[in-house]
Amino acid sequence: MARFVFVVPPLTGHINPTLSIGAVLLQRGHQVGWITLDAALASKLPKGGELLLIEYAENDLQKQESEKYLDIITKKIVYGIDSIKFLYEEVLIPLNRHSYEGISDWLDRFKPDLVITDHQMFSGAIAAANKGYSYATSVTAPAAIKVMDELPKVHEWEINQIIALQKEFGIDLETAIACSEELTMVLTSSEFFGEMELPECYRFVGPVIHQRTEQPAFDWEKLNSVPGNQKILVSIGTTFDHEHKKSFFEKVIEAFENEPLTVVVVSDPELFEQWPDNFIVQRSVPQLELLPHLDAVVCHGGHNTVCETLTHGLPMVVVPIAYDQSHVAGRVVRVGAGLRLNFNRFKAKHLKESVTEILSNASFKQAAIEISGSFSRAGGTEKAADLLVELAKEPVVVVLNN
Amino acid sequence: MDTIISTAKLNSSEIFDLMKQFITEVIGEEFVEEMDITMESSFTKDLEMDSIEIVSFSEKIKNHFGEQIDFTGWLSNMDLDELINLNLGTIVNYIEECQ
Repeated sequence: MARFVFVVPPLTGHINPTLSIGAVLLQRGHQVGWITLDAALASKLPKGGELLLIEYAENDLQKQESEKYLDIITKKIVYGIDSIKFLYEEVLIPLNRHSYEGISDWLDRFKPDLVITDHQMFSGAIAAANKGYSYATSVTAPAAIKVMDELPKVHEWEINQIIALQKEFGIDLETAIACSEELTMVLTSSEFFGEMELPECYRFVGPVIHQRTEQPAFDWEKLNSVPGNQKILVSIGTTFDHEHKKSFFEKVIEAFENEPLTVVVVSDPELFEQWPDNFIVQRSVPQLELLPHLDAVVCHGGHNTVCETLTHGLPMVVVPIAYDQSHVAGRVVRVGAGLRLNFNRFKAKHLKESVTEILSNASFKQAAIEISGSFSRAGGTEKAADLLVELAKEPVVVVLNN
Repeated sequence: MDTIISTAKLNSSEIFDLMKQFITEVIGEEFVEEMDITMESSFTKDLEMDSIEIVSFSEKIKNHFGEQIDFTGWLSNMDLDELINLNLGTIVNYIEECQ
Protein backbone atom coordinates (compact mmCIF):
# COMPACT_ATOMS: atom_id res chain seq x y z
CA MET A 1 0.00 0.00 0.00
CA ALA A 2 1.27 3.43 -0.89
CA ARG A 3 0.34 6.99 -0.04
CA PHE A 4 -0.56 9.28 -2.94
CA VAL A 5 -1.35 12.95 -2.87
CA PHE A 6 -2.82 15.02 -5.71
CA VAL A 7 -2.10 18.75 -5.86
CA VAL A 8 -4.94 20.43 -7.78
CA PRO A 9 -5.80 23.99 -8.85
CA PRO A 10 -9.36 25.22 -8.26
CA LEU A 11 -10.33 24.45 -11.87
CA THR A 12 -12.97 21.78 -12.51
CA GLY A 13 -11.41 20.49 -15.70
CA HIS A 14 -8.12 19.91 -13.91
CA ILE A 15 -9.67 18.31 -10.82
CA ASN A 16 -12.09 15.85 -12.41
CA PRO A 17 -9.51 13.48 -13.92
CA THR A 18 -7.70 13.22 -10.56
CA LEU A 19 -10.96 12.15 -8.91
CA SER A 20 -11.23 9.17 -11.28
CA ILE A 21 -7.58 8.17 -10.98
CA GLY A 22 -7.76 8.64 -7.20
CA ALA A 23 -10.85 6.45 -7.00
CA VAL A 24 -9.01 3.60 -8.75
CA LEU A 25 -6.02 3.98 -6.42
CA LEU A 26 -8.35 3.86 -3.40
CA GLN A 27 -10.08 0.75 -4.75
CA ARG A 28 -6.68 -0.88 -5.02
CA GLY A 29 -6.14 -0.26 -1.32
CA HIS A 30 -3.90 2.81 -1.42
CA GLN A 31 -4.27 5.98 0.60
CA VAL A 32 -5.08 9.10 -1.38
CA GLY A 33 -5.28 12.76 -0.42
CA TRP A 34 -6.06 15.96 -2.35
CA ILE A 35 -4.28 19.22 -1.55
CA THR A 36 -6.54 22.10 -2.58
CA LEU A 37 -7.64 25.63 -1.74
CA ASP A 38 -11.26 24.71 -2.32
CA ALA A 39 -13.20 23.34 0.68
CA ALA A 40 -16.08 22.39 -1.64
CA LEU A 41 -13.94 19.62 -3.10
CA ALA A 42 -14.77 17.52 -0.02
CA SER A 43 -18.19 16.59 -1.41
CA LYS A 44 -16.73 15.44 -4.72
CA LEU A 45 -13.95 13.18 -3.42
CA PRO A 46 -14.29 9.44 -3.95
CA LYS A 47 -15.04 7.35 -0.86
CA GLY A 48 -12.01 7.18 1.40
CA GLY A 49 -10.26 10.15 -0.23
CA GLU A 50 -8.84 12.73 2.20
CA LEU A 51 -9.31 16.45 1.79
CA LEU A 52 -6.06 18.27 2.61
CA LEU A 53 -7.30 21.84 2.65
CA ILE A 54 -4.79 24.66 2.39
CA GLU A 55 -5.63 26.92 5.33
CA TYR A 56 -3.58 29.73 6.74
CA ALA A 57 -3.63 31.24 10.22
CA GLU A 58 -6.50 33.66 10.68
CA ASN A 59 -4.42 36.58 11.83
CA ASP A 60 -2.50 36.62 8.60
CA LEU A 61 -4.54 38.79 6.28
CA GLN A 62 -2.60 37.95 3.19
CA LYS A 63 -3.37 34.33 3.65
CA GLN A 64 -7.04 35.07 3.81
CA GLU A 65 -7.00 35.70 0.12
CA SER A 66 -7.57 32.01 -0.57
CA GLU A 67 -11.17 32.51 -1.57
CA LYS A 68 -10.44 35.02 -4.23
CA TYR A 69 -8.42 32.46 -6.17
CA LEU A 70 -11.34 30.06 -6.38
CA ASP A 71 -13.10 31.90 -9.19
CA ILE A 72 -10.61 34.54 -10.30
CA ILE A 73 -10.46 32.98 -13.74
CA THR A 74 -14.15 33.70 -14.35
CA LYS A 75 -13.86 37.39 -13.54
CA LYS A 76 -12.33 38.86 -16.60
CA ILE A 77 -13.23 38.93 -20.25
CA VAL A 78 -10.28 37.46 -22.08
CA TYR A 79 -9.76 36.42 -25.65
CA GLY A 80 -7.09 34.95 -27.88
CA ILE A 81 -3.37 35.26 -27.21
CA ASP A 82 -4.01 38.02 -24.66
CA SER A 83 -5.58 35.41 -22.43
CA ILE A 84 -2.28 33.56 -21.97
CA LYS A 85 -0.80 36.67 -20.36
CA PHE A 86 -3.81 37.00 -18.09
CA LEU A 87 -3.73 33.30 -17.23
CA TYR A 88 -0.13 33.43 -16.04
CA GLU A 89 0.21 36.92 -14.60
CA GLU A 90 -3.13 37.22 -12.87
CA VAL A 91 -4.18 33.64 -12.20
CA LEU A 92 -1.51 30.94 -12.18
CA ILE A 93 1.50 32.72 -10.71
CA PRO A 94 -0.39 34.44 -7.83
CA LEU A 95 -2.35 31.23 -7.18
CA ASN A 96 0.82 29.15 -7.01
CA ARG A 97 2.69 31.70 -4.91
CA HIS A 98 -0.22 31.74 -2.49
CA SER A 99 -0.51 27.94 -2.34
CA TYR A 100 3.15 27.03 -1.89
CA GLU A 101 3.39 27.17 1.88
CA GLY A 102 0.15 25.28 2.38
CA ILE A 103 1.28 22.55 0.01
CA SER A 104 4.65 22.24 1.77
CA ASP A 105 2.93 21.88 5.16
CA TRP A 106 0.62 19.17 3.88
CA LEU A 107 3.48 17.22 2.32
CA ASP A 108 5.21 17.15 5.73
CA ARG A 109 2.06 16.01 7.46
CA PHE A 110 0.83 13.48 4.88
CA LYS A 111 4.26 12.11 3.91
CA PRO A 112 3.23 10.76 0.49
CA ASP A 113 5.16 8.10 -1.40
CA LEU A 114 4.26 9.99 -4.55
CA VAL A 115 2.97 13.49 -5.26
CA ILE A 116 0.87 13.95 -8.41
CA THR A 117 0.77 17.60 -9.30
CA ASP A 118 -1.23 19.32 -12.01
CA HIS A 119 0.92 20.83 -14.77
CA GLN A 120 -0.36 24.27 -13.86
CA MET A 121 0.20 23.80 -10.11
CA PHE A 122 3.91 24.48 -10.40
CA SER A 123 4.07 25.03 -6.66
CA GLY A 124 3.24 21.34 -6.16
CA ALA A 125 6.36 20.39 -8.10
CA ILE A 126 8.44 23.07 -6.34
CA ALA A 127 7.30 21.97 -2.88
CA ALA A 128 7.88 18.28 -3.70
CA ALA A 129 11.37 19.01 -5.02
CA ASN A 130 12.27 21.17 -2.03
CA LYS A 131 10.99 18.59 0.46
CA GLY A 132 12.57 15.66 -1.34
CA TYR A 133 9.38 13.89 -2.40
CA SER A 134 9.08 12.06 -5.68
CA TYR A 135 6.44 13.58 -7.98
CA ALA A 136 4.58 12.92 -11.20
CA THR A 137 2.73 15.50 -13.28
CA SER A 138 -0.72 15.21 -14.81
CA VAL A 139 -1.23 17.32 -17.92
CA THR A 140 -4.95 17.96 -17.92
CA ALA A 141 -4.83 20.59 -20.68
CA PRO A 142 -2.47 18.93 -23.20
CA ALA A 143 -2.81 21.62 -25.86
CA ALA A 144 -0.70 23.84 -23.60
CA ILE A 145 2.33 21.67 -24.45
CA LYS A 146 1.65 21.97 -28.15
CA VAL A 147 2.41 25.70 -27.94
CA MET A 148 6.09 24.70 -27.72
CA ASP A 149 5.94 23.71 -31.37
CA GLU A 150 3.63 26.29 -32.83
CA LEU A 151 4.68 29.46 -31.00
CA PRO A 152 8.00 28.68 -29.30
CA LYS A 153 8.54 32.18 -27.95
CA VAL A 154 5.16 32.16 -26.26
CA HIS A 155 6.11 28.89 -24.65
CA GLU A 156 9.45 30.36 -23.58
CA TRP A 157 7.61 33.29 -21.99
CA GLU A 158 5.41 30.84 -20.04
CA ILE A 159 8.45 28.88 -18.89
CA ASN A 160 10.17 32.08 -17.74
CA GLN A 161 7.19 32.90 -15.52
CA ILE A 162 7.54 29.47 -13.90
CA ILE A 163 11.32 29.76 -13.53
CA ALA A 164 10.97 33.12 -11.76
CA LEU A 165 8.52 31.59 -9.29
CA GLN A 166 10.83 28.62 -8.71
CA LYS A 167 13.61 31.06 -7.81
CA GLU A 168 11.38 32.76 -5.25
CA PHE A 169 11.15 29.42 -3.50
CA GLY A 170 14.84 28.63 -3.66
CA ILE A 171 15.15 26.53 -6.80
CA ASP A 172 17.95 28.10 -8.78
CA LEU A 173 17.45 26.42 -12.13
CA GLU A 174 17.04 27.79 -15.64
CA THR A 175 14.53 25.09 -16.58
CA ALA A 176 10.96 24.64 -15.40
CA ILE A 177 10.32 21.61 -13.22
CA ALA A 178 6.52 21.69 -13.54
CA CYS A 179 6.55 18.61 -15.78
CA SER A 180 8.15 15.74 -13.91
CA GLU A 181 11.15 14.03 -15.47
CA GLU A 182 10.05 10.80 -13.84
CA LEU A 183 6.51 10.71 -15.20
CA THR A 184 4.40 13.29 -16.99
CA MET A 185 1.02 11.86 -17.88
CA VAL A 186 -0.58 13.55 -20.87
CA LEU A 187 -4.31 12.97 -20.68
CA THR A 188 -5.03 12.39 -24.34
CA SER A 189 -3.94 10.01 -27.10
CA SER A 190 -0.96 10.77 -29.29
CA GLU A 191 -3.31 10.47 -32.30
CA PHE A 192 -5.40 13.36 -31.08
CA PHE A 193 -2.46 15.37 -29.72
CA GLY A 194 -0.63 15.25 -33.04
CA GLU A 195 2.99 14.60 -33.87
CA MET A 196 5.57 16.15 -31.64
CA GLU A 197 8.86 15.00 -30.22
CA LEU A 198 8.68 14.68 -26.47
CA PRO A 199 11.02 13.19 -23.85
CA GLU A 200 10.35 9.60 -22.81
CA CYS A 201 8.92 10.61 -19.46
CA TYR A 202 5.85 11.97 -21.28
CA ARG A 203 3.24 9.21 -21.44
CA PHE A 204 -0.03 9.44 -23.33
CA VAL A 205 -2.55 7.72 -21.10
CA GLY A 206 -5.65 8.93 -22.93
CA PRO A 207 -8.34 11.11 -21.44
CA VAL A 208 -9.55 10.21 -17.99
CA ILE A 209 -13.31 10.44 -18.13
CA HIS A 210 -14.85 11.38 -14.83
CA GLN A 211 -18.14 9.85 -13.74
CA ARG A 212 -19.61 12.68 -11.67
CA THR A 213 -21.21 11.60 -8.44
CA GLU A 214 -23.97 14.20 -8.41
CA GLN A 215 -26.41 13.71 -11.25
CA PRO A 216 -28.39 16.80 -12.16
CA ALA A 217 -32.02 16.07 -13.02
CA PHE A 218 -32.77 16.09 -16.73
CA ASP A 219 -35.89 16.39 -18.85
CA TRP A 220 -35.50 13.10 -20.76
CA GLU A 221 -39.10 13.16 -21.89
CA LYS A 222 -38.65 16.44 -23.69
CA LEU A 223 -35.42 15.22 -25.27
CA ASN A 224 -37.35 12.48 -27.03
CA SER A 225 -40.60 14.39 -27.53
CA VAL A 226 -40.11 15.09 -31.23
CA PRO A 227 -39.26 11.86 -33.02
CA GLY A 228 -37.03 12.43 -36.01
CA ASN A 229 -35.36 15.49 -34.55
CA GLN A 230 -31.60 15.28 -34.38
CA LYS A 231 -30.22 16.21 -30.97
CA ILE A 232 -27.33 18.47 -30.17
CA LEU A 233 -25.67 19.78 -27.02
CA VAL A 234 -24.42 23.35 -26.80
CA SER A 235 -22.04 24.11 -23.93
CA ILE A 236 -19.28 26.65 -23.38
CA GLY A 237 -18.33 25.32 -19.99
CA THR A 238 -18.19 26.98 -16.63
CA THR A 239 -15.22 29.31 -16.96
CA PHE A 240 -16.78 32.03 -19.07
CA ASP A 241 -19.42 33.48 -16.83
CA HIS A 242 -19.86 36.93 -18.29
CA GLU A 243 -21.06 38.94 -21.27
CA HIS A 244 -19.47 36.45 -23.65
CA LYS A 245 -22.26 34.11 -22.76
CA LYS A 246 -25.15 36.33 -23.74
CA SER A 247 -23.93 37.24 -27.20
CA PHE A 248 -22.99 33.62 -27.81
CA PHE A 249 -26.38 32.21 -26.91
CA GLU A 250 -28.22 34.92 -28.84
CA LYS A 251 -26.59 33.50 -31.94
CA VAL A 252 -27.34 29.95 -30.87
CA ILE A 253 -31.02 30.85 -30.57
CA GLU A 254 -31.08 32.56 -33.95
CA ALA A 255 -29.36 29.58 -35.57
CA PHE A 256 -31.54 26.79 -34.20
CA GLU A 257 -34.92 28.30 -33.38
CA ASN A 258 -37.67 26.41 -35.22
CA GLU A 259 -35.15 24.02 -36.79
CA PRO A 260 -35.88 20.28 -36.77
CA LEU A 261 -33.38 19.89 -33.94
CA THR A 262 -33.66 19.36 -30.21
CA VAL A 263 -31.08 21.63 -28.63
CA VAL A 264 -29.77 21.00 -25.13
CA VAL A 265 -28.14 24.15 -23.78
CA VAL A 266 -25.96 24.36 -20.68
CA SER A 267 -26.64 27.83 -19.34
CA ASP A 268 -28.35 29.77 -16.66
CA PRO A 269 -32.00 29.68 -17.89
CA GLU A 270 -32.42 33.24 -16.63
CA LEU A 271 -29.99 34.51 -19.26
CA PHE A 272 -33.02 35.16 -21.47
CA GLU A 273 -36.67 35.60 -20.60
CA GLN A 274 -37.67 33.13 -23.21
CA TRP A 275 -35.98 30.29 -25.03
CA PRO A 276 -37.30 28.59 -28.19
CA ASP A 277 -39.63 25.58 -27.74
CA ASN A 278 -37.10 23.16 -29.16
CA PHE A 279 -34.50 24.11 -26.52
CA ILE A 280 -33.87 22.38 -23.20
CA VAL A 281 -31.94 24.81 -21.01
CA GLN A 282 -30.35 23.72 -17.76
CA ARG A 283 -27.62 25.13 -15.58
CA SER A 284 -26.00 21.70 -15.58
CA VAL A 285 -26.74 18.45 -17.36
CA PRO A 286 -25.71 14.81 -16.81
CA GLN A 287 -23.32 15.12 -19.74
CA LEU A 288 -21.99 11.55 -19.83
CA GLU A 289 -25.48 10.05 -19.69
CA LEU A 290 -26.68 12.49 -22.30
CA LEU A 291 -23.93 12.04 -24.91
CA PRO A 292 -25.02 8.55 -26.09
CA HIS A 293 -28.41 10.07 -27.08
CA LEU A 294 -26.95 12.93 -29.11
CA ASP A 295 -25.90 13.45 -32.72
CA ALA A 296 -23.41 16.32 -32.34
CA VAL A 297 -21.93 18.83 -29.88
CA VAL A 298 -21.18 22.55 -30.07
CA CYS A 299 -18.58 23.60 -27.51
CA HIS A 300 -15.77 26.07 -26.71
CA GLY A 301 -12.97 23.55 -26.87
CA GLY A 302 -12.46 22.78 -23.20
CA HIS A 303 -10.36 19.63 -23.02
CA ASN A 304 -12.84 17.57 -20.99
CA THR A 305 -15.92 18.24 -23.11
CA VAL A 306 -13.96 17.65 -26.31
CA CYS A 307 -12.60 14.35 -25.00
CA GLU A 308 -15.99 13.18 -23.75
CA THR A 309 -17.57 14.06 -27.08
CA LEU A 310 -14.88 12.23 -29.06
CA THR A 311 -15.04 9.25 -26.70
CA HIS A 312 -18.68 8.93 -27.68
CA GLY A 313 -17.74 9.17 -31.34
CA LEU A 314 -19.65 12.41 -31.94
CA PRO A 315 -18.69 15.17 -34.38
CA MET A 316 -18.51 18.73 -33.10
CA VAL A 317 -18.32 22.41 -33.90
CA VAL A 318 -15.70 24.10 -31.74
CA VAL A 319 -15.90 27.82 -31.00
CA PRO A 320 -12.73 28.53 -28.99
CA ILE A 321 -12.68 31.50 -26.63
CA ALA A 322 -9.31 31.66 -24.92
CA TYR A 323 -6.29 29.88 -23.43
CA ASP A 324 -5.42 26.64 -25.21
CA GLN A 325 -8.86 26.26 -26.79
CA SER A 326 -7.77 27.55 -30.17
CA HIS A 327 -5.26 24.71 -30.34
CA VAL A 328 -7.80 22.13 -29.21
CA ALA A 329 -10.13 23.38 -31.95
CA GLY A 330 -7.26 23.14 -34.42
CA ARG A 331 -6.74 19.49 -33.50
CA VAL A 332 -10.44 18.67 -33.87
CA VAL A 333 -10.36 20.13 -37.38
CA ARG A 334 -7.05 18.45 -38.24
CA VAL A 335 -8.27 14.97 -37.32
CA GLY A 336 -11.47 15.65 -39.27
CA ALA A 337 -13.87 15.26 -36.34
CA GLY A 338 -15.42 18.69 -36.66
CA LEU A 339 -15.34 22.31 -37.72
CA ARG A 340 -14.26 25.46 -35.93
CA LEU A 341 -15.72 28.94 -35.79
CA ASN A 342 -14.20 32.17 -34.53
CA PHE A 343 -15.97 33.12 -31.31
CA ASN A 344 -16.03 36.87 -31.92
CA ARG A 345 -16.68 36.74 -35.61
CA PHE A 346 -19.20 33.99 -36.30
CA LYS A 347 -22.81 34.72 -37.05
CA ALA A 348 -25.89 32.60 -36.51
CA LYS A 349 -25.94 31.38 -40.09
CA HIS A 350 -22.34 30.10 -39.84
CA LEU A 351 -23.24 28.09 -36.78
CA LYS A 352 -26.29 26.70 -38.54
CA GLU A 353 -24.29 25.81 -41.66
CA SER A 354 -21.51 24.16 -39.66
CA VAL A 355 -23.87 22.07 -37.58
CA THR A 356 -25.79 21.02 -40.70
CA GLU A 357 -22.48 20.04 -42.30
CA ILE A 358 -21.21 17.86 -39.43
CA LEU A 359 -24.63 16.21 -39.11
CA SER A 360 -24.99 15.42 -42.81
CA ASN A 361 -21.43 14.51 -43.81
CA ALA A 362 -20.63 11.14 -42.23
CA SER A 363 -16.87 11.63 -42.45
CA PHE A 364 -16.90 13.84 -39.32
CA LYS A 365 -18.55 11.17 -37.23
CA GLN A 366 -16.23 8.52 -38.68
CA ALA A 367 -13.16 10.56 -37.69
CA ALA A 368 -14.56 11.03 -34.18
CA ILE A 369 -15.06 7.27 -33.88
CA GLU A 370 -11.44 6.70 -34.90
CA ILE A 371 -10.18 9.07 -32.21
CA SER A 372 -12.46 7.33 -29.74
CA GLY A 373 -10.61 4.10 -30.57
CA SER A 374 -7.25 5.76 -29.95
CA PHE A 375 -8.52 6.93 -26.56
CA SER A 376 -9.48 3.45 -25.44
CA ARG A 377 -6.20 2.00 -26.69
CA ALA A 378 -4.27 4.61 -24.66
CA GLY A 379 -5.70 3.04 -21.50
CA GLY A 380 -7.30 5.91 -19.59
CA THR A 381 -7.84 5.81 -15.85
CA GLU A 382 -6.54 2.27 -15.22
CA LYS A 383 -3.37 2.93 -17.21
CA ALA A 384 -2.74 6.16 -15.32
CA ALA A 385 -3.20 4.35 -12.00
CA ASP A 386 -0.79 1.58 -13.12
CA LEU A 387 1.93 4.09 -13.96
CA LEU A 388 1.54 5.90 -10.64
CA VAL A 389 1.62 2.69 -8.58
CA GLU A 390 4.71 1.55 -10.46
CA LEU A 391 6.48 4.84 -9.78
CA ALA A 392 5.50 4.85 -6.09
CA LYS A 393 7.01 1.39 -5.69
CA GLU A 394 10.40 2.37 -7.00
CA PRO A 395 12.76 2.94 -4.10
CA VAL A 396 13.66 6.56 -3.58
CA VAL A 397 17.40 7.05 -3.74
CA VAL A 398 18.51 9.30 -0.92
CA VAL A 399 21.84 10.97 -1.46
CA LEU A 400 23.56 12.13 1.68
CA ASN A 401 26.02 14.92 1.24
CA ASN A 402 28.40 14.41 4.11
CA MET B 1 -3.99 30.44 -54.89
CA ASP B 2 -0.59 30.17 -53.26
CA THR B 3 2.23 30.19 -55.71
CA ILE B 4 5.77 29.41 -54.71
CA ILE B 5 7.47 31.64 -57.21
CA SER B 6 7.19 35.40 -57.24
CA THR B 7 10.35 36.79 -58.67
CA ALA B 8 9.27 40.38 -59.12
CA LYS B 9 9.99 42.57 -56.15
CA LEU B 10 6.79 43.89 -54.59
CA ASN B 11 6.33 47.39 -53.27
CA SER B 12 4.68 47.97 -49.94
CA SER B 13 1.21 48.55 -51.30
CA GLU B 14 1.41 45.33 -53.33
CA ILE B 15 2.57 43.47 -50.23
CA PHE B 16 -0.30 44.99 -48.27
CA ASP B 17 -2.81 43.75 -50.87
CA LEU B 18 -1.27 40.31 -50.80
CA MET B 19 -1.47 40.19 -46.99
CA LYS B 20 -5.08 41.26 -47.18
CA GLN B 21 -5.73 38.43 -49.59
CA PHE B 22 -4.14 35.93 -47.16
CA ILE B 23 -6.18 37.30 -44.27
CA THR B 24 -9.28 36.90 -46.41
CA GLU B 25 -8.39 33.29 -47.12
CA VAL B 26 -7.85 32.58 -43.43
CA ILE B 27 -10.90 34.27 -41.96
CA GLY B 28 -13.33 34.33 -44.89
CA GLU B 29 -14.38 36.95 -47.38
CA GLU B 30 -17.63 37.96 -45.79
CA PHE B 31 -15.90 38.92 -42.54
CA VAL B 32 -13.22 40.93 -44.28
CA GLU B 33 -15.85 42.97 -46.11
CA GLU B 34 -17.05 44.31 -42.79
CA MET B 35 -13.56 45.18 -41.57
CA ASP B 36 -11.46 48.21 -42.21
CA ILE B 37 -8.08 46.58 -42.71
CA THR B 38 -5.18 49.05 -42.62
CA MET B 39 -1.44 48.98 -41.99
CA GLU B 40 -2.26 49.69 -38.33
CA SER B 41 -4.63 46.73 -37.90
CA SER B 42 -3.40 44.44 -35.14
CA PHE B 43 -3.98 40.74 -35.55
CA THR B 44 -5.24 40.06 -32.06
CA LYS B 45 -7.25 43.15 -31.18
CA ASP B 46 -8.52 44.49 -34.52
CA LEU B 47 -8.71 41.38 -36.68
CA GLU B 48 -9.57 39.17 -33.69
CA MET B 49 -7.41 36.38 -35.02
CA ASP B 50 -6.60 33.64 -32.54
CA SER B 51 -3.31 31.78 -32.39
CA ILE B 52 -4.29 29.04 -34.83
CA GLU B 53 -5.41 31.63 -37.37
CA ILE B 54 -2.14 33.54 -37.00
CA VAL B 55 -0.22 30.29 -37.51
CA SER B 56 -2.16 29.48 -40.69
CA PHE B 57 -1.74 33.03 -41.98
CA SER B 58 2.01 32.68 -41.53
CA GLU B 59 1.95 29.37 -43.42
CA LYS B 60 0.41 31.15 -46.37
CA ILE B 61 3.23 33.68 -46.42
CA LYS B 62 5.74 30.86 -46.19
CA ASN B 63 4.12 29.02 -49.10
CA HIS B 64 4.06 32.16 -51.20
CA PHE B 65 7.61 33.40 -50.71
CA GLY B 66 9.24 30.03 -50.09
CA GLU B 67 12.94 30.22 -49.25
CA GLN B 68 13.02 33.92 -49.98
CA ILE B 69 11.74 34.90 -46.56
CA ASP B 70 12.00 33.03 -43.25
CA PHE B 71 8.65 34.30 -42.10
CA THR B 72 7.74 31.51 -39.67
CA GLY B 73 11.19 31.79 -38.14
CA TRP B 74 10.71 35.52 -37.69
CA LEU B 75 7.23 35.07 -36.24
CA SER B 76 8.24 32.26 -33.91
CA ASN B 77 10.90 34.54 -32.43
CA MET B 78 8.29 36.99 -31.26
CA ASP B 79 7.55 36.99 -27.60
CA LEU B 80 4.08 37.22 -26.18
CA ASP B 81 3.85 41.00 -26.07
CA GLU B 82 5.18 41.41 -29.59
CA LEU B 83 2.69 38.88 -30.84
CA ILE B 84 -0.21 40.55 -29.04
CA ASN B 85 0.72 43.91 -30.57
CA LEU B 86 1.71 42.63 -34.01
CA ASN B 87 0.13 44.70 -36.78
CA LEU B 88 -0.03 44.41 -40.51
CA GLY B 89 2.44 47.27 -41.11
CA THR B 90 5.20 45.44 -39.22
CA ILE B 91 4.78 42.42 -41.45
CA VAL B 92 4.65 44.46 -44.66
CA ASN B 93 7.88 46.23 -43.66
CA TYR B 94 9.58 42.98 -42.80
CA ILE B 95 8.69 41.40 -46.14
CA GLU B 96 9.73 44.52 -48.04
CA GLU B 97 13.13 44.53 -46.34
CA CYS B 98 13.69 40.83 -46.96
CA GLN B 99 13.06 40.87 -50.67
